[in-house]
Amino acid sequence: MEAAVVDAGSKILKAGLAIPDQAPSLIIPTQMKRMLEDQDGFSADNSMSEDVTVDPVVRGCVKDWDAMEDLLHHVLYTGLEWEVGNEGQILFTEPLCTPKAVREQLVQLLFETFNVSGFYASEQAVLSLYAVGRISGCTVDIGHGKIDIAAVLEGAVQHIASRRFEVGGSDLTKLLAQELGKSNPMVNLGISDAEKLKEQFACCAEDEVAYDKMLRTSETEEHTLPDGQVIRIGREKYTVGEALFQPSILGLEAHGIVEQLVRSVATVSSENQKQLLENTVLCGGTTSMTGFESRFQKEASLCSSAIRPCLVKPPEYMPENLELYSAWVGGAILAKVVFPQNQHVTKADYDETGPSIVHRKCF
Amino acid sequence: MYGGDEVSAIVIDLGSHTCKAGYAGEDAPKAVFPSVVGCINQMDADDDKENNDSETNNNNADSGKPKGKRKLYVGSQALGFRRDHMEVVSPLKDGVVLDWDIVDNIWDHAFKDCLLIDPKEHPMLLAEPSSNTQLQREKIAELMFEKYKVPALFLAKNAVLTSFASGRATSVVIDSGGGSTTVAPVHDGYVLQKAVSSSPIGGEFLTDCLMKSLESKGVVIKPRYSFKRKEIQPGVFQTVDVDLPHTTESYKLYSQRVIASDIKESVCRAPDTPYDESSYSNIPMTPYELPDGQTIEIGADRFKIPDILFNPSLAQTIPGVDNFAEISSSARGLPQMVIESINRCDVDIRKELFGSILLAGGTASMQQLKERLEKDLLEESPQAARVKVLASGNATERRFSVWIGGSILASLGSFQQMWFSKSEYEEHGASYIQRKCP
Repeated sequence: MEAAVVDAGSKILKAGLAIPDQAPSLIIPTQMKRMLEDQDGFSADNSMSEDVTVDPVVRGCVKDWDAMEDLLHHVLYTGLEWEVGNEGQILFTEPLCTPKAVREQLVQLLFETFNVSGFYASEQAVLSLYAVGRISGCTVDIGHGKIDIAAVLEGAVQHIASRRFEVGGSDLTKLLAQELGKSNPMVNLGISDAEKLKEQFACCAEDEVAYDKMLRTSETEEHTLPDGQVIRIGREKYTVGEALFQPSILGLEAHGIVEQLVRSVATVSSENQKQLLENTVLCGGTTSMTGFESRFQKEASLCSSAIRPCLVKPPEYMPENLELYSAWVGGAILAKVVFPQNQHVTKADYDETGPSIVHRKCF
Repeated sequence: MYGGDEVSAIVIDLGSHTCKAGYAGEDAPKAVFPSVVGCINQMDADDDKENNDSETNNNNADSGKPKGKRKLYVGSQALGFRRDHMEVVSPLKDGVVLDWDIVDNIWDHAFKDCLLIDPKEHPMLLAEPSSNTQLQREKIAELMFEKYKVPALFLAKNAVLTSFASGRATSVVIDSGGGSTTVAPVHDGYVLQKAVSSSPIGGEFLTDCLMKSLESKGVVIKPRYSFKRKEIQPGVFQTVDVDLPHTTESYKLYSQRVIASDIKESVCRAPDTPYDESSYSNIPMTPYELPDGQTIEIGADRFKIPDILFNPSLAQTIPGVDNFAEISSSARGLPQMVIESINRCDVDIRKELFGSILLAGGTASMQQLKERLEKDLLEESPQAARVKVLASGNATERRFSVWIGGSILASLGSFQQMWFSKSEYEEHGASYIQRKCP
């Protein structure tokens, strides 16, 4: 039976059986809704209710274990059609800098509650590179809850040259809601509506000069919200994209994405820098914003480094929109290698040694 | 007695240049960041941002440390961003901690932002300089137990940890790091204090010499924040200087040093024979591209700068190295320091010491250093001694060998009974650390 691959993001959970070159079969929001009868429940779309929503994954890390358990229950038994008593093997992805304790808890949950037969965990940065066919390079992963800039050499993450920012798509949504609130004071905008608007309209200006020009002209579009209100969107859509390159818009004291990438890679020894920067991969939902890639390349030619970052083109046999789930696809590729070769953590290993086995077997 | 199975200790090595922290049992530290901090004194600054070390607004109120008077910015991300009036301050001077508040912030950054752990749940292994005073150790113990409430602590000397990292119980450890070079013989896991010698010539001194040398040749190193590239026409780029008047001198110097140390690491090599002006004047120049696009050629300096380790008086020939007079009195070349150090030990172990000389530290990962040192030592050592200089091939391992030794030590089963636990601290006080951590 094929191994299952699960990539739990802060906003969207991607899961499926390990069949590479395909998109994951199950793409559902990670956010769950708490049902009233003292049990955690969930619903696949939660845009309309105002009930208590539960986020098991915050900023990339699992925080609410009970909710996570329920979510995995749904994913594995209903979504991937596992049978109780005949659970297979599972590969999990994890973000950069996951504390050891979180890993151990995950392993414990899977072996004891779900009784899986095999487990493996790998870092998302490494997997995203596998998805484009590389073992060394940099990944810029801009997700909903966090931005991870990681340098990977020969399949090992160089923690010295990796950075994490606790900024992500959710902060951009808040920014958009704020900006729209300023220009449309009459309209009452909920966060989930702002999220949809962001996905539909947000884009990046070509460069700083073009952005400044956009700010001055204000060609607005009208859009009707699901509850009937009409909202005008003009330059706010560019502000959202610009915030990634000029974080001062979000109120942060930091450099833009490309500058951060170049600086963190500069800490690695020079022979490797070229290899890293020339194999840069963009992943994460936010990078699929219109105009992001071309802006990134533009900024790359303007950055303060001798070696310019170059983006890698994903192979043609990969599905479209690879950046949304490149970590999952990489996981599917890895699962095909790790599980048949018995390099994973088996139930027997776990029973013998306990949760700390995960640190020894999974890098 | 602290005995835990599945114990996941944290190893911290606060050096003069970088701080390394990570989990025991791993082969490299997860958190590596500069051990200097940016500091804005509230009096001159106008900003009142909430950040101290990560750029998010969901910091808890108690993890920000404005202290009423000054704000500290820790970590490579925070330090990399230029702010008005931000001074670069180091907590250490000559290896001795002067400002405990900064050290506190550095540890906090390592725990909360880099490793994402709660110090209450992990025993801590700290690396300390080989000649640390009792007062400093007690202060560390106090800070760790009272503020971070760690369950257990151990202080190990740098030289001992490097020795462990290479698998030897007896060796001479040459730790050549950012701020200083220390030569310490270790015998059966204990540092022989009377034979420890240290010299202020370290990586930072070499970087400064390189910078002064380049300046005297007319090369201007522009810090990364001081220029921007503009595209005037498609495909044609131009570097434009950005004027930022409120940047402090110390920050400018710090940014220049970062670039200069990259030049040093990529281009400098230890020469095979002692450096002298005439023989090296016709060396082919190596090009190096600076971040702003300027390409510079480095010729004789490639070999001159590393040779300062072997012959400190060379630094006097570089125009602009002004405070050398204070240094020159105590500085001797590396081979002399090693020989002197070994001669202060007992006669019986000298042979063994000569046969296991270990190189550690960032500066020790310079190319050809090992070969040159071996050659020089063979000339100056007594005839009967078999000199062997060992250094791990991987440059990263040399740089972090103290940390790696700590990682090995803290994950040994037999070490678990040696921890200085919280209950012992409460019973006997901080001075008990002298007995527990020899």
